[in-house]
Amino acid sequence: MSRMLTRKLLPVRNILPPVTKRTSHVHRQRYDVIVVGGGHAGTEAAAAAARVGAETLLVTQKTHTIGALSCNPSLGGVGKGHLVREIDALDGLCGRAGDWAGIHFSILNRRKGPAVWGPRAQLDRQRYREFIQAELLSTPRLEVLEGSVEELLVTDPNPEEPGRHRVTGIRLANGSRSISASSVVLTTGTFLSGSLFVGHTVSPGGRIGDAPSSSGLSQTLRERLGLRVGRLRTGTPPRVLKDSVDLSLAKLHPPDSHPTPFSFMNTRTRCKPEEQLPCYLTYTTPGVERVVRESLHLNCHIQQDAKGPRYCPSIESRVLRFPGRRHQVWLEPEGMTSDLLYPQGLSMTMPPDVQLRLIREIPAMHRAEIHTPGYGVQYDYVCPTQLSPALQVKNTQGLFLAGQINGTTGYEEAAAQGLWAGVNAARWARSLPPAVLSRTESYIGVLIDDLVSRGVNEPYRMFTSRAEFRTSLRPDNADLRLTLKGSLLGCVSSARRDEFLRVKLRLQDAEAALRALTLSPAGWRKMMPGISVSESKNGSLSGMDLLQYKDVSFEMLASLFPEQLSPHMEFSERLKIEAVYKPHCDLSKREVERIQKEENMSLPQDLDYFSLPVSLSKEVREILDRFRPSTLGAATRLEGMTPAAVVNLLNYVQIAERKERMMNRSNAGHQEGRGDDLCARNASLPQ
Amino acid sequence: MLPISAVCGGIYRAAIRTLGTRNVPLCRRLSSGDGVLAGLADADTIFALSSGHGRCGVAVVRISGPAATTALRCMVGLRKHLPPPRTALLRSITDPHSKEVLDRGLVLWFPAPHSFTGEDSVEFHIHGGPAVITAVLQALGSVPGMRPAEAGEFTRRAFHAGKLDLTEVEGLGDLIHAETEAQRRQALRQMSGDLGRLYQDWSHRLKRCLAHVEAFIDFSEDELIEDGVLDRVDISVCDLQAEINQHLKDERRGERLRSGVHVVIAGATNAGKSSLLNTLCQRPAAIVSPIAGTTRDVVETALDIGGFPVLLSDTAGLRDSPDLVEQEGVRRARERVQQADLTLVVVDSTILPSEVKQAGAVLLKHLESVLTSQEQPEAGRCLLVLNKTDLLPEAQREQLSLGLRGTSGLPPVCLISCQTSEGLKDFLTVLQSTVQTMCADPLSGAPTLTQARHRAHLQQCAAALAQYWRYRDSDLALAAEGVRLALTGLGRITGRVGAEEILDIIFKDFCIGK
Repeated sequence: MSRMLTRKLLPVRNILPPVTKRTSHVHRQRYDVIVVGGGHAGTEAAAAAARVGAETLLVTQKTHTIGALSCNPSLGGVGKGHLVREIDALDGLCGRAGDWAGIHFSILNRRKGPAVWGPRAQLDRQRYREFIQAELLSTPRLEVLEGSVEELLVTDPNPEEPGRHRVTGIRLANGSRSISASSVVLTTGTFLSGSLFVGHTVSPGGRIGDAPSSSGLSQTLRERLGLRVGRLRTGTPPRVLKDSVDLSLAKLHPPDSHPTPFSFMNTRTRCKPEEQLPCYLTYTTPGVERVVRESLHLNCHIQQDAKGPRYCPSIESRVLRFPGRRHQVWLEPEGMTSDLLYPQGLSMTMPPDVQLRLIREIPAMHRAEIHTPGYGVQYDYVCPTQLSPALQVKNTQGLFLAGQINGTTGYEEAAAQGLWAGVNAARWARSLPPAVLSRTESYIGVLIDDLVSRGVNEPYRMFTSRAEFRTSLRPDNADLRLTLKGSLLGCVSSARRDEFLRVKLRLQDAEAALRALTLSPAGWRKMMPGISVSESKNGSLSGMDLLQYKDVSFEMLASLFPEQLSPHMEFSERLKIEAVYKPHCDLSKREVERIQKEENMSLPQDLDYFSLPVSLSKEVREILDRFRPSTLGAATRLEGMTPAAVVNLLNYVQIAERKERMMNRSNAGHQEGRGDDLCARNASLPQ
Repeated sequence: MLPISAVCGGIYRAAIRTLGTRNVPLCRRLSSGDGVLAGLADADTIFALSSGHGRCGVAVVRISGPAATTALRCMVGLRKHLPPPRTALLRSITDPHSKEVLDRGLVLWFPAPHSFTGEDSVEFHIHGGPAVITAVLQALGSVPGMRPAEAGEFTRRAFHAGKLDLTEVEGLGDLIHAETEAQRRQALRQMSGDLGRLYQDWSHRLKRCLAHVEAFIDFSEDELIEDGVLDRVDISVCDLQAEINQHLKDERRGERLRSGVHVVIAGATNAGKSSLLNTLCQRPAAIVSPIAGTTRDVVETALDIGGFPVLLSDTAGLRDSPDLVEQEGVRRARERVQQADLTLVVVDSTILPSEVKQAGAVLLKHLESVLTSQEQPEAGRCLLVLNKTDLLPEAQREQLSLGLRGTSGLPPVCLISCQTSEGLKDFLTVLQSTVQTMCADPLSGAPTLTQARHRAHLQQCAAALAQYWRYRDSDLALAAEGVRLALTGLGRITGRVGAEEILDIIFKDFCIGK
């Protein structure tokens, strides 16, 4: 309990955990898990692996860039905010870090329905880094090492299982030192064969100011392990000196007057409501479009934009694809005391002098000075269909990938994968079966399932429209969906588990109290004259039913029944949301159950689909062979699968399972437990 | 480990749904069966025509599920007492709403678990005319909780209830394949007409509505989404709702779909396709000439083969032609082949190599180019007709007729001469037995069933659109859910719409940055 209190009060007391560890050398020769990379994916992966109980080493080029926000100074939003809430429900870092570092909080989509509310915050870069570093360096079982990884160590493929490698560790650049580990999580972001683009200049690297990563890693992945890689691009806008911008010419955009914390563990944010900084909104002008067109020949990154993403990551693609329109530019603070502004929407890759000309076409920035020019990055990603739903490389045991290396974009997407890869890396190291999150229970599940079963051809970003069960996957109930599961996996602290159990019980009590309040429709009409209560089937309506009405709030009911309901005021908003959404969630329950069952039916990864003795067309066999779905559920979602093929596969799985059961029964006498492969086949979480 | 029965229902439903995924060629999408709404319930009660199609005295309509008794109560006037189980009763079958008598027939009641599906089941044995069948199926569709069965669904439910043994379970995949294929062909015929264009247009508009609502939800706070996006969606949804409801009300509208087994004659130019048509219908329905490419459009004739209705179409010879009219003819020919229940591939036997093995190989290749379907020709869906045998030496004729029989991958081969009528009798026997087998399949050539299915899906679509309005002002996420469900309902007719397709529209219509 005391730990919970300190955690809760942490942001308010302005204290970070004391940093006690050194980062210049390692204490062990062997770790359970090594995480390569200290970005959003890497930090969540390392912290999660350590929480689950693995001896973990985080290797990063520079300790002081751990937790750096390389691009926008913000966290959350619509879809992305959902991810942050889920990461927090699994005790990840970014939600709490956001509460610590946020300087402008707002809930997007406030008027569009709680399922699509998007918690978002502008962040102070310095504070964010501070928090993440302090957390990592004080996490038990987690060590941090500054260094560059030269090579990934893998075994030759097992002759009995063709194409199957096993990871054994890493070799560092300086002095060729090797460190061994059962699992390695690669979160190298844009550094895998990364190139930086400004105007005509192209230089190797993944982020400006940082040394390029060694080519050894990329080589191991491509040549040694034979992984298919693709190339993606991203970019960042120039940073502008705040003093040089005439903010009176931009529209002030204030934060919410009451900041809502990201974390289920926080009741307040570190930043006081009145201390929050505003953002500003301004627009592009025809002059901006002119500058882009005039400088196209100087713009290497854009010239290569032959097959770019469907959306428009840079100002160049915006004005080229949607000419003659004005586009929004948000001017966002970079920190509490920073003298820079981040012009969101102006990512560009032209030469610096043209960048200056361009931004000065915008009235508010007509005298603006650029502190750091914008630039583009092109980098390799590993086609994520080669991963399992645990984010493990299918042909290499113990190797996990997370973040931009899998073709995603965004901090939240990276963090979500990192956390899940970290959990699974630790489970692998401890010989536990992989843990899988379903797309029916979380956005993290949607993200991972989309990646591993469909792949990407543009940087993947989360949108709420990707979630077919959007009405149940809400930011408000992420804890109810995930915390218990996280706790069973061991990745949730006892403080969070206790708090969760308290909340869950209280919510149940409150719902029970609401259900216990039953009146006839006429009775309700008398008590609440303004509400047009309709008739009900069985003659009476409960408080929960009434709460479904648009104009009925929990507060209204509580004022009518203070004795029964006033103890539950803490949850008034959650109860209202639950009451409105429950009928809709119930409707999709059957579909959810179906998908979950199918997701629990695993297809062995080494199946030879061409010789499988079931009736499948050649076309279907090719599809299955190409995508190698991990579960029957993933197989049914593949394009080109026929219903008959799915039924035949089902038959096959059932017969295989029956055989396996019989085999186990006959082996039970002389063999203890089952091999890892068998466990992996029946991948499911402890119930 | 899950019990088999618990899993299979879902798999089956998913199986049906996957048929409609994106990027699958249109022809394979059309029968996309299922989705969220029907996924709601095994609690649904399903019905279907279970007897064969064609000239038959009695048609059997099967009903299975919890509301089966409702059908008994409201359609055969058995309000108070259910009939004794498994005993035939002669009753008047009436429309539950208009109380109009539809037919007089036998009614059987099989209470659970002693029925084929293990559920409460009812059978109506009614007169076999298409008008009666249509009326009864439509009346059933109007009973709450009832919907037309999806492909293989009766069998699937039986499987669910443990009424099938293992060998029967193994046949389930084949059954579903056959039935979905039959539905696909039927839907394809319907979709290529005016009705199909209407549904496609609705689907297209609904997709745009959904894309715009989704864009407003996901991006309007960060990006510049022009004012009035939602207003335009309002107008669109309102129009769509009105049009769909109007369509549902006006039962006489919609096109008359021709019943019968669809048999298409296809092949290269000058193989003698039109001669075969004329021979079969015993009148010069199509122009015949020695000039290649004489037939340019589809020539259709209704026939009665051994008592079964057949719709016979002659098509343009397949070849690359610079002539635009002929190109269109070839396109239509290929379309017909895709929609056909049975394709007669006509080949000029004089162009075949004299060696039998080589001839077999040539024919296989030729079949592939005519049928163009990615899957191997289904057994019984194709006959190979070698024409002009009167021009072959006797020895070669015999070699072909004996030798080709053993060639694997070839459908049944008939050697005929339209000129001399040689071999025609044997060919007619084969054709008749094939048509007969097809008519035993209740799904082939039964447009009423497709219509009933479409009706049910359109009703779901209209109901879901009402949810849009219920939440339009209070909760856009729930309003969007209404549009999603509507699109799922319509998608079961026109092909499923995936999240990526919606994102495509969003990114095309709006400038979305990072």
